[in-house]
Amino acid sequence: MLEPLKYVYSPPWQNTHIIGIAGSSGSGKTSVAAQLVKRLNLPWVVVLSMDSFYKELNPAQSKLAFENNYDFDAPSAIDFDILVDRLQDIKAGKKAEIPVYSFEKHQRERDKTTTIYSCHVLILEGIFALYDPRVLDLLDMKIFVDTDSDICLARRLARDVKSRGRDVKGALQQWHRFVKPNFELYVRPQMKNADIAIPRGIDNITAIDMIVKHIQRALRMKSEAHLKKIAELGERVLEKPLTDNVTVLEQTPQLRGIHTILQDRMTNREDFIFYFDRLSSLLVEKAMDRMTFTTQQVITPLDRPYLGLRCASAICGVVILRSGGVFEIGLKRVVPDCKIGRLLLQSNIRTGEPELHHLKVPPNIGNHQVLLLDPQIASGAAALMAVRVLKDHGVEEGNIVFLTYMATKVGLGRLNAVFPELKIVAASVEEEWAGRWIDEKYFGC
Amino acid sequence: MSVTAADTVVEGCAAAPIGPSYREKDEKPQATVSGKIKFDTVHVLPQTPQLIALLTIIRDKNTQRGDFIFYSNRIIRLLVEEGLNHLPVKEHEVTTPLGRTYAGVRFEGKICGVSIMRAGESMEQGLRDCCRSVRIGKILIQRDEDTSQPKLFYHKLPNDIAERWVLLLDPMNATGGSASMAVEVLKSKGVAEERILFLNLIASPEGLEHFASKFPKLRVITAFIDEGLDDKNYIVPGLGDFGDRHFGTLND
Repeated sequence: MLEPLKYVYSPPWQNTHIIGIAGSSGSGKTSVAAQLVKRLNLPWVVVLSMDSFYKELNPAQSKLAFENNYDFDAPSAIDFDILVDRLQDIKAGKKAEIPVYSFEKHQRERDKTTTIYSCHVLILEGIFALYDPRVLDLLDMKIFVDTDSDICLARRLARDVKSRGRDVKGALQQWHRFVKPNFELYVRPQMKNADIAIPRGIDNITAIDMIVKHIQRALRMKSEAHLKKIAELGERVLEKPLTDNVTVLEQTPQLRGIHTILQDRMTNREDFIFYFDRLSSLLVEKAMDRMTFTTQQVITPLDRPYLGLRCASAICGVVILRSGGVFEIGLKRVVPDCKIGRLLLQSNIRTGEPELHHLKVPPNIGNHQVLLLDPQIASGAAALMAVRVLKDHGVEEGNIVFLTYMATKVGLGRLNAVFPELKIVAASVEEEWAGRWIDEKYFGC
Repeated sequence: MSVTAADTVVEGCAAAPIGPSYREKDEKPQATVSGKIKFDTVHVLPQTPQLIALLTIIRDKNTQRGDFIFYSNRIIRLLVEEGLNHLPVKEHEVTTPLGRTYAGVRFEGKICGVSIMRAGESMEQGLRDCCRSVRIGKILIQRDEDTSQPKLFYHKLPNDIAERWVLLLDPMNATGGSASMAVEVLKSKGVAEERILFLNLIASPEGLEHFASKFPKLRVITAFIDEGLDDKNYIVPGLGDFGDRHFGTLND
């Protein structure tokens, strides 16, 4: 028997390229990481400091810490279990909640985390970045910053005195008691795990140059693989009929008339906006039919019962910017108080690959039925990414309704095949992609 | 010949599982859907879960006025959209912004709205949402205290109404008494019966039957056919007095 075909979408941030940078305290790890970020100049390169993963201290350890007698420079101070868990999430393309550690309290901040999501490159930076074998397995590139220990000491002293309010004597004491012995014992031996050692750290321009080129090549390969997979998906889905979950509005005379006005290049913007808003409220009404409802009995003013329905949960709109913004008026006419999340996806000018630039959704979006709004579906690549983002934020696939004005057959096919539970409502279907124009005409730029 | 509602009702309104085709029957919630009536000229909006949910809100006696106005307006827009689908169109080709040819259609025929005062006026906003600068005429018909028959008090209509399609607005079609009188007024102004579209949210089988047999060419578009009328000729279960709930003229 033939294996049933699997239609899978992997976002470009899946299989994240993770780079570990280890080195002594004061060696310049942070500066190297910052320099890499600056040189790559992409929004999806994120630095993760291992300082976030200090263990929570028990009362006795906490007392030692406040007396400057706790050894923060030994591997035992780091919670590698959580670190590995979060790195695995990031590698899998999922959302990772990173603890926030307070140096004043020597505790993790309660109910407070930073979210890392959708980065293509993660730079893990810390004295023990190349220590735990489980972490090493997840790293794509291992860097050790090898700076002369005199320079490290000088930097550390300057930093401790200037920005951490310690006196020179205390700082020197720390160095001799904890930092130096730990360096010899645990930090330096990591060098054998490294792919590259960078002598002189940030000053080593040639080494940093090489690393940047290496990462750029890795990113390019990921982008190509992502696009290739989407293209392959397209060839296969066209033979597969669309399921019931895809609704194309009935092409009534009025709807055809509105299409004609919208499609006519001679239509002025005032008319275009009026008719688009009219159509978009109709589309949102249709999309609401795809929500889940439950039975609800009410009593009418004539004291008669009526067995009716109500929407099973709150509605949240998610606009795929910029073009999804054209649906906002229609959305507000139908669900005026609905929460609205936004995500900005832009197609890369060179490759056409969609890229996630910005994301803001309500924190409890998982409890909502979500209307995802984009007036045009082309290859479906941006739509696939948007649905994946919502799912990664806890929204059930069956609770998402994708709303669009015009979709290509192949775009609909991809979405329908990859996310079989997703509902799609489209006002029309295009044989082939002609280009994005609706948002330009609606917004006038 | 006199027909009674009982003869023309194909199916009374009753509870049924409703929802889209991809849901299993036992996953569909139960709700009361519109009755069915034996007249081709009566068009009932598709009984989708969303429409039923909207009706549930406006039928609920505990719904506040702001919500009543908002949710009834949404149904009215759907009625207007459905009504407009009955207007003629003509093939029309245009060039798209991307330079392609699009074989579309053009709207033909001028329209106007006519609201039966006062409840019908509450539907004007919904009409304007779909047709920006539409002309709207008004007809005031009230029940004569002495004869308890409807009586025409006032009307103001576009001069060229005979050349137009008319969307006649009255949210509740109970006995059909005042609406029939309004249609007579329109016909006397030269409007052809088949060019009148009567839009209402909730209709009684009696009202529809009365109307459809009296004006066989006139189209009625309604969101729901209810059980029937009570002894005061109110539609039941209905939603009370639409005008009072919309305009806030009820005793608190």
